[in-house]
Amino acid sequence: MDETGALELAAQAVGYATACGADAAEASVTIARRFHAEARDNVVAKLEQATAKSLHVRVFSGGRRASLTTTDLTADGLRAAVARTVASAAHVARDPLGGLPDEFASDSPALHLFDASVEARDAGEKIEEALALERMTRAYDPRIVNSSGSHYNDATSITALANSAGFAAAYSSTRAGRSTSPVATEADVKRTASYGTAGRHLGDLESAHHVAEMAGRRTVELFGARKPTTMRVPVIFERDVAAGILEDLLAAVSAANVAVGNSWLAGRLGERIGSAHCNVVDDGRLDGKLGSAPFDGEGVATRRTSVFEAGRLHAFLADTYYARKLGVAGTGNSNGNGVGANSFYLEPGKATLQDLIASTPCGVLVLDTIGFAHEYASGTYSRGARGFFIRDGELAYPIDEFTVAGMYPEMLAGIDGVAGDLRFDGAVVSPSFRVAEMTISGS
Amino acid sequence: MIDESTLARVIARALRRGGEFADVFCERRTSQSLRLQDGNVHEAACGLVLGVGIRVISGESAGYAYSDDLSLEALLQAADAASHIARGGNNGIAEPTLRHEAVASWYDGLRDPADSARYADLLARADVAARAYDPRVVAVNAHVGDELQEVWIANSEGRVVHDRRPMVTLGVQVVAGDAQERSSGYVGDGGRTSLAYFDDHSPEALAREAARIAIVNVSAVAAPAGEMAMVVGAGGGGVLLHEAVGHGLESDFNRRGTSLYSGRVGERVASELVTIYDDGNLPEERGTINVDDEGVPGQHKVLVEKGVLRGYMQDLLNARLMDAHSTGSGRRQSIRYLPQPRMCNTYMPGGESSVEEILASTERGIYAKSFAGGQVEISKGDFVFMIGEGYLIERGKVTAPVKNATIVGNGPDAMTKVTAVAGDSRLARRHYTCGKGGQYVPVGVGMPTVKISSITVGGTRHDG
Repeated sequence: MDETGALELAAQAVGYATACGADAAEASVTIARRFHAEARDNVVAKLEQATAKSLHVRVFSGGRRASLTTTDLTADGLRAAVARTVASAAHVARDPLGGLPDEFASDSPALHLFDASVEARDAGEKIEEALALERMTRAYDPRIVNSSGSHYNDATSITALANSAGFAAAYSSTRAGRSTSPVATEADVKRTASYGTAGRHLGDLESAHHVAEMAGRRTVELFGARKPTTMRVPVIFERDVAAGILEDLLAAVSAANVAVGNSWLAGRLGERIGSAHCNVVDDGRLDGKLGSAPFDGEGVATRRTSVFEAGRLHAFLADTYYARKLGVAGTGNSNGNGVGANSFYLEPGKATLQDLIASTPCGVLVLDTIGFAHEYASGTYSRGARGFFIRDGELAYPIDEFTVAGMYPEMLAGIDGVAGDLRFDGAVVSPSFRVAEMTISGS
Repeated sequence: MIDESTLARVIARALRRGGEFADVFCERRTSQSLRLQDGNVHEAACGLVLGVGIRVISGESAGYAYSDDLSLEALLQAADAASHIARGGNNGIAEPTLRHEAVASWYDGLRDPADSARYADLLARADVAARAYDPRVVAVNAHVGDELQEVWIANSEGRVVHDRRPMVTLGVQVVAGDAQERSSGYVGDGGRTSLAYFDDHSPEALAREAARIAIVNVSAVAAPAGEMAMVVGAGGGGVLLHEAVGHGLESDFNRRGTSLYSGRVGERVASELVTIYDDGNLPEERGTINVDDEGVPGQHKVLVEKGVLRGYMQDLLNARLMDAHSTGSGRRQSIRYLPQPRMCNTYMPGGESSVEEILASTERGIYAKSFAGGQVEISKGDFVFMIGEGYLIERGKVTAPVKNATIVGNGPDAMTKVTAVAGDSRLARRHYTCGKGGQYVPVGVGMPTVKISSITVGGTRHDG
């Protein structure tokens, strides 16, 4: 199915909804042709190739809203499911803030989201790439005697959106990625780490050789790790770990969470929360990036939104409903069913990660964390971690089996150094940064 | 959903380039849910997944394709895509003769779909109860939903099985506090049953429990940092088993030798007080399955017995390669994914100690009454879990509540330090979902009160 076919299908769903009595409706169709090859040792362990089609519909009926997600795109199946959805709105409370946006994207920015060479790539070549990455990874160090697999994946997607207000637009995009997860053994201890790269264009990807080297290094460099003592020290978060912190921050600045009390930032718009280094942006219009799109999940034009400016909380990210609810401006951040990121990132600084380490007399470099936030109301951060102890500006020895903890307000206020190593390998990304003081819990 | 002659034709097509085994996973999943915020039902959501996944196994390799289009042409095309994993093997097989196999049932898959008017009532009752619990309650967010997943699984050995898996869920999140300090509590319940479950397990009780946790956390002190004893609460403490041991015993990691438990069946991996089961046959639990997503009946498995590792959780692919049998552990999120060996309901039976003597024997430590989640790194065995409700233990007494903190430990190390197990084993409230390789499946956990002599608590309060 091409963009025109996807748009016709979306329009058809909108037509079914209004025919069932909905006052307004919106439908988006996503068609993704996906490829994934996993190589392990000299074997292709997995080969997955398929086209996933799905349709998401939102209906508004007498101020009540309901939604549908379906993979049954047959005319009869779709008509029945839409009718069921319109009927289910009867159980919802009337809400005058519901409804389609007031304004839709009217421009067609050249965002370069599609790379024809991804679509044209031969399956055999892609499989060979996964096998080659696996070989390179195993060759990095003699202690790497096993792996959890090396991967190549890509997708070619069509996104089409139509609504009863007359908006209809579609765009095509590609993405590709390679990653590997070696397992190394030394003195009966197994260690693993992963490293990967992703982008919309094949040319944006880091080389297979670099991916193998980064994954290999991260796996073997922590052998001999000790458990640190419990202390309060400066903590440097390497960029991939830092991106995880930005994920939590995204949840806290999401108007959908703010509106229901599930954010420690509720009611704090305009306040200075972070340090001068805390500049956080959401941008849907960066050229060729994974977080870019011409319009969001409701057809609203994407844009650049400054979320934190020199530490001051400048904006919450909102879709149409939650913008109305909070009385703030919409930011083009609908993901179709709530609030999501475009490219959400901490602005890079001028230092290198090495500079941050060199200017830390005593501290900790965190290279990996496990655990996740389960709520955003209290603003607590606590994760299992591994990395290096820093002494006199140098990596002294590897450490693991400890936790790093703090409260978000203090962490953001404590950012005293940001590196320039930002990369856009996802929608939520960050450069490495340092927090002046956090609690390390070990022995 | 698809007639047997078509299934047989698709299986033969999938194996035409070779391979030892092929299966077809057909799924129809309908779901509906309502969400409440600000005292009102905010939105209704309906979902429908309909499609077929086709897999070919050739040695250690699996080829996979799926189709949302059920036409014969689309299914044969998907079978072709999956077949590419095998190259130059046999010259195809004859179409298998398919036989339906009946399986034991641990839940009522034939119930009527829920009357959606009841949803709004359940949510409203939860909202009123949570707000009445304490004036410091500032927000109540709740959702209720039900789902029916129907699967048909046919394979090249001629088996066809059918299962209808219901699931209901009611979850309540309560936020409490003031402008300075906010905390939240979340409780969910349900299972493979119908909305009638909430006649005996009232939404009011669930909401009050979420509100109670939120209020406890508002007055909580900063959690301590450092190593100390930990008493794990009955029920929800089972997350510990799931992370510290369970994942490490899934057969994909062990066949590949990437788990620290690889090759250690028969060895002591925990204190002799530790016995761990994984069970797919507990009536109506979230992790219960009549058959797994490869058509193998769910089973009761002994993972660890008195500290000795007894066996792994197997799916078909890994069992074939390890010369073992599937334990009915092959599960997947939907047609979009290949199956993986996964847990069902993981729990520890009760021991000899009493809760009172376990607490009294603890000079200084932390009482982790429930966990909000956890994660493990398979190769070295380091795990974390996040405290949902926790307290300090001082001189044998449970004292002040502590703020959310992460606990970090190493699987075999923590399990060796289990020094007491109480007799109060029970399953946790039914709200756990397990993520692995990007796939989410419902699971259950259970645990008696257990003491671990030393573990690292990741709070912010460091007393030097």
